[in-house]
Amino acid sequence: MDIQYKWTLREILICAVLGAVFGVLYLAWVQVWLIAQAIFGAVTMDVVMGFWFIVSIIAAAIIRKPGAALFSEVLAAAIQVMLGSPAGLLLLVSGLVQGAGAEAVFAARKWRDYRLPVLMAAGVGAAVFSFIYTWIRFDYGALAPGLLIAMFVLRCLSGALLGGLLGHWVTEALYKTGVLSGLPIDRARRGAHA
Amino acid sequence: MPEGKAAAAWQDTSIKYPYQDKAAAGPLSLALEAGERLLLLGPSGCGKSTLLNTLTGLIPGTIPAEVTGEVQLFGEKVKSRPPAEWSRQVAQLFQDADQTLCGMTVADEVAFALENLGLPEGEILQRTAAAIDRVGLEPAFGVRRTMRLSGGEKQLVAMAAALAQGAPLFVADEPTAHLAPRAAERLRALLLEPGRSTSVLIIDHRLDGLIDRVDRVAVMGPDGTLVAQGPPAALFREHGELLARFGIWQPLASLLDAELASANLAASDPPLHLSDVLTHIDRLPPDARRLATGIARAFVGRRVRPAIDAGATLSALKGADCAPLFGPVVLRDVSVELRAGEVLGILGGNGAGKSTLGASLAGLLRLKGGRRSGPPGGMAFQNPENQFVTGSLREEIESATDAILTAPEREQRVATMLRRWRLEGLENSHPYELSQGQKRRLALATLTASGRWPFLVLDEPTAGLDAAGAAAVAAQVANLADIGHGVAVITHDMDFALAVCHRVVLVGEGGLIGEGRPGELMRDHALMARAGLEPPTILPALEWLERVPTC
Amino acid sequence: MLSRIHPLAKLVVCLIWIAVSIFVFDAWLQIFIIAMAALALIVLERRSVLLVLALMVPFALFGFGFLTTSVLFRQESDFALQMARETPLGSEAFSAGIVLFLRAIACGMVSAVFALTTDPGGLIKALMANWRLPPSIGFSLFAALQLVPDIASEAQQIRLARAMKKGRPPRRIPGPLETASLVIPLLAFAIRRATRTAIALEARGLSPDRPRTIVGAPPFRRGDITFAVLSLALAAAAIWVVIGTGSG
Ligand SMILES: Nc1ncnc2c1ncn2[C@@H]1O[C@H](COP(=O)(O)OP(=O)(O)OP(=O)(O)O)[C@@H](O)[C@H]1O
Ligand SMILES: Nc1ncnc2c1ncn2[C@@H]1O[C@H](COP(=O)(O)OP(=O)(O)OP(=O)(O)O)[C@@H](O)[C@H]1O
Ligand SMILES: [Mg+2]
Ligand SMILES: [Mg+2]
Repeated sequence: MDIQYKWTLREILICAVLGAVFGVLYLAWVQVWLIAQAIFGAVTMDVVMGFWFIVSIIAAAIIRKPGAALFSEVLAAAIQVMLGSPAGLLLLVSGLVQGAGAEAVFAARKWRDYRLPVLMAAGVGAAVFSFIYTWIRFDYGALAPGLLIAMFVLRCLSGALLGGLLGHWVTEALYKTGVLSGLPIDRARRGAHA
Repeated sequence: MPEGKAAAAWQDTSIKYPYQDKAAAGPLSLALEAGERLLLLGPSGCGKSTLLNTLTGLIPGTIPAEVTGEVQLFGEKVKSRPPAEWSRQVAQLFQDADQTLCGMTVADEVAFALENLGLPEGEILQRTAAAIDRVGLEPAFGVRRTMRLSGGEKQLVAMAAALAQGAPLFVADEPTAHLAPRAAERLRALLLEPGRSTSVLIIDHRLDGLIDRVDRVAVMGPDGTLVAQGPPAALFREHGELLARFGIWQPLASLLDAELASANLAASDPPLHLSDVLTHIDRLPPDARRLATGIARAFVGRRVRPAIDAGATLSALKGADCAPLFGPVVLRDVSVELRAGEVLGILGGNGAGKSTLGASLAGLLRLKGGRRSGPPGGMAFQNPENQFVTGSLREEIESATDAILTAPEREQRVATMLRRWRLEGLENSHPYELSQGQKRRLALATLTASGRWPFLVLDEPTAGLDAAGAAAVAAQVANLADIGHGVAVITHDMDFALAVCHRVVLVGEGGLIGEGRPGELMRDHALMARAGLEPPTILPALEWLERVPTC
Repeated sequence: MLSRIHPLAKLVVCLIWIAVSIFVFDAWLQIFIIAMAALALIVLERRSVLLVLALMVPFALFGFGFLTTSVLFRQESDFALQMARETPLGSEAFSAGIVLFLRAIACGMVSAVFALTTDPGGLIKALMANWRLPPSIGFSLFAALQLVPDIASEAQQIRLARAMKKGRPPRRIPGPLETASLVIPLLAFAIRRATRTAIALEARGLSPDRPRTIVGAPPFRRGDITFAVLSLALAAAAIWVVIGTGSG
């Protein structure tokens, strides 16, 4: 089956509302993170980071078209900004970077493969991109190398689990509710069974 | 538009949803002449809405399905353009107002189609204001968000949005299902006013006030094919039996006419209004008149609920201030109670606060003032979709049965409910994929599947139902009351209220404005007008029976 | 006042201030930006001082993360010593951690000014009218934004339906388990709403390639230009002062 590049209005809308819902959830997650950070200290950010990649993975798995991961992640960031996220407008850049990380992995599979390992890899992709970005932004070069490695590994793990695996579960649960009928994920599955 | 071309035409069209083995509608051929007003009837679930959605190519364009045959608009193949490009020719009002509206403010919503036509801003503003006014909404509604309106108000906004389009073909799928009689009448007049050049295709279950305004009626059978068509009055007389068998609504006049006909007492011309039949009876020779009067008396008797002595109070509001979810207080200082064994009607205009009152009575909404006493009750929400929590009909009903049942008993109960609410064969479907009437029936099935609640509140239980469905609701309601449950029914259908309710309350002006026996209250024209309501269709017969001598 | 400025003018100005905050690594500049944002809200918008202070709390918490990171893990960290020895006057007197902390608040406050004074609908209309945002994307954003308040009422509606099935009134505030169990139904609701909105938009003629009128897009006024020029001049002046004192 060849992939379709043109988006339908329904797909654009779904990507947008996914961004909106996860924008709200991300903001709630910020609170979780802040509390955890106060208790466990600074590396908490890397542990919880993966959840902030999840929408790109869900959107890509549902819509299966180039740009889904990037668009949904940026939109989730935009919604957070509008709801008054502590990170402010800069969050758009974070969203762009994280979305691009996930998108890069899907692109490497030519936007055809959305099995669990690929989704987890996309989580790692987002983690790597975001690590580079935070490196530049927060001057990580000044940090101790041991700590840096620990942070990197934690963040990749988090991306794979909280992003990829959890995203996979959510997508499966959504598929069962029947609302995805007629979308590329549905066509791919039913096509595979027929 | 080209001369002599049909406004819309289906040729041997049949529609099959993906992974179903039966066609949802068709094969059928039907044409709507330019300027014609056509009413499409059919039992719930026969494929009416499906058929309409093929008209501009939404099926199969946006909603996946397999369409065979040809669909044409104004002599052009529908497929030749994307759905959006037909908006200049076709204004479409979907069955579910939530599907016509997209969540903006009322003014933006109405202006949207005009913006897409690229009209100048001034004209858009003026046409928007005019459309909002025509459907009878206050200009102040312009800034309200459509998702925060009552069921009927949403339908009015959807209507305004479609009317503003000013397209030569207007397609309306049950435009008045949630409207109070006054508003419904206003819309029907707007839509079908004589002398307009618009072609109108309308689907509706409630026929009174409609059939004398349409040129032709087409009837679909349960298998989705066309079974009859013709001018209204004649059609109901000729095919009355067929319609009854399929559970399709018929006007009261035709029903009484049919009963008279079986005693060979019917008039030669088929009637459209109840008063036509009564006048005809008055003109009969004395013997025949006595016979006919007896038939009419029995006919009316079956449609008026006698009073009862109700039992203990199940739920009571005392001086309650009620507010919708996240909304302001809309009803102040309301006192009302629901008793065991009684059916209480809650009547009122659109946006009066009936749904809010019902949910408060059921104990689902927190009161902003006053007190409520009694256990929580079950409620059938005005939008049946709000009821569904699982992924298939079977699970939905199973989850509603009592926990103590054994597996075979549960299986048995599910089968009974499916049969009772005519949902057989759909048990593995997703609740969201049902037709509007099927959704309503499923919601009612889940509420009546167990004796879990001492009382039920049913919000517009007959909206979107065919005659058979409404009869099933009436039977269930009567049954529940007989076994000592309480039922509160919120309805816009005055005839239904008259037939099932022991007592009614009128909601209006931010509180309760009346209470009493339906037969008496509904004859208080001044009070009914205050509440924005009209008397039931059967009222002329009630009044007539009081005038004719008993024998 | 600020709410009457054209959303795009405001957006550009806010983005520039944020850029300044990020690229000029100076504590005083950050404090200056915070003060300007707070003043704008209090004086021009007549928001209460308490609200503005409350706004800063989450930004401060967020920024605190950077502070602890850099204090605890900086290799050559003699941060505490520096703090004790020097009074914070010159820009070098601050550790990078403090600047990062202040920067989080500064960026946050600028965004807050934007968010609090801009109607999202107006912003999207302006984006469609002035920056040629395609209407299909514009209305998708619109739908997404409007979904946000509806998520709360839908969640409440689902809780009502569930509580009713169980036969007891819903709790006032959902517990964490209940909240988690709402995620999938709410996502399903959102996707369904998107599907229906797509049908509604298409049926009423939203088409990607036809020109359309946009009613109620905010107009550009002379005040917008004055606002932009003034705030940019202020930014330039602030940078100049910082660089001047920094080198001198
Ligand atoms: N998206 C869908 N997928 C699968 N089946 C569907 C879908 N939509 C409708 N159906 C089925 O197709 C049949 C026709 O549905 P439709 O909505 O057209 O009925 P209707 O005549 O409009 O009924 P009502 O009067 O109750 O609105 C029904 O049996 C329904 O369950
Ligand atoms: N979520 C909400 N937020 C604000 N106002 C609301 C909300 N829901 C309803 N309202 C308003 O409260 C009033 C009462 O609404 P309610 O739904 O109870 O009316 P109703 O009598 O059931 O009307 P209908 O016959 O149209 O269903 C209406 O004026 C409506 O506009
Ligand atoms: Mg229908
Ligand atoms: Mg209501």
